[in-house]
Amino acid sequence: MIYRGNRAAWAYIVARTKVMKSRLLKAEDFRKLLNMDFDEIIRYVGETEYKREVDEMGYKYTGPRLLDYALFANLARTYRKLIEVSFGASKFLIAKYLEKWDVWNLINILRGKMAGVQPEIIEDTLVPAGEKDFEFYKTLIVRDVEEVVKAFEGTPYYEALSKIGSEDMSKIEDELYKIYYRELLKLSPSDFAMKLFLDFIRMEVDIRNIKTILRLKADDATAEEIMNCIIPGGYELTEDEARKLAAMPLDELVKALEGYWFWKDIEIEGKEVARVEIEFDKIWISTIAKRASNYPLSILPVLQYVVLKKVEVDNLRILGWGKWYGLPNEEIERQMVIL
Amino acid sequence: MVEDALAKGLIAVGAGLAVGLAGIGAGLGESGIGAAAVGATAEDRGFFGLGILFTVIPETIVIFGLVIAFILMFAF
Repeated sequence: MIYRGNRAAWAYIVARTKVMKSRLLKAEDFRKLLNMDFDEIIRYVGETEYKREVDEMGYKYTGPRLLDYALFANLARTYRKLIEVSFGASKFLIAKYLEKWDVWNLINILRGKMAGVQPEIIEDTLVPAGEKDFEFYKTLIVRDVEEVVKAFEGTPYYEALSKIGSEDMSKIEDELYKIYYRELLKLSPSDFAMKLFLDFIRMEVDIRNIKTILRLKADDATAEEIMNCIIPGGYELTEDEARKLAAMPLDELVKALEGYWFWKDIEIEGKEVARVEIEFDKIWISTIAKRASNYPLSILPVLQYVVLKKVEVDNLRILGWGKWYGLPNEEIERQMVIL
Repeated sequence: MVEDALAKGLIAVGAGLAVGLAGIGAGLGESGIGAAAVGATAEDRGFFGLGILFTVIPETIVIFGLVIAFILMFAF
């Protein structure tokens, strides 16, 4: 039985995350960063919330790798902190949502092992923010792939992991994320807090699915191939709806999308899929913001922060790599999700 | 004589209820505000003063209760 919590418990964690959210980089900070060169960006980032991680990684790495690993380390620390400072229902829901990073870490370890990457480098790409801690992953990294799979015996992920070797790794990755969402959606909406959480998850599934449909459509994938990648349990985009959309040609599909919550007159014609995906991310973020302000004493403001923190990290990575390779500012800005 | 004592007793009960119920109400209000204030202060000490200020706002209702209690005790 999940501890239901009360208004005071929600008020505590929401106020705390609101203060944390106020420390995220603003749109004008990103505009300032766009006009800096790579070294100036590292210096600037090293004076913000990321100071500790930039200092820690500074002696091991240089260039965009330093930025990458410092950002991931900070993301992990921030997410772990959220779990540590929350209690009751909020702790349970945050931890459940962050199990996504267990899947991320597992994929990183497997991919690293298969590519023969050094254990220390795999270690630095991990974001131990989920159910499993860093020590657990450290023991996994030194084992071989079969033993890593065996460590997950008895968990829902084992079924997908046991196909390693006989199936394509990207398919197994899709399968792992499907299992993650399936397990989350198994939670029963016993109270309002849980219902809001499950709606949030379903909406996230919608966004992931529509991006998958459009990306695969652009690659001329068949309806069946698309359906294999669809995550069941969407909010409005159910499996049947997704099947209908997957079978349509692109222009008809765009018309059929009107009326869905995630469709706000997005210009698809002549746009790269990556740019369309950014539009969906922006709609997703503004929808979460609206719902979080409608239900201020709930898990939504916390999840909003979790999403915004990830967006900030992604933006800084795009900025770092873009600057490192000398891309023009306009191009870097187009790739970033700035609201 | 007996009636006088009964009236005085009821007035005392009324005064007690006025302060007590106002206190419970203020406590309920303060629980959420106090929790939020502690949360914000834990992240940023600059919120300490503002947090205290917001937390004691529901206390005003206890002052109303206290005034009613005084009126009951001394005006009758």
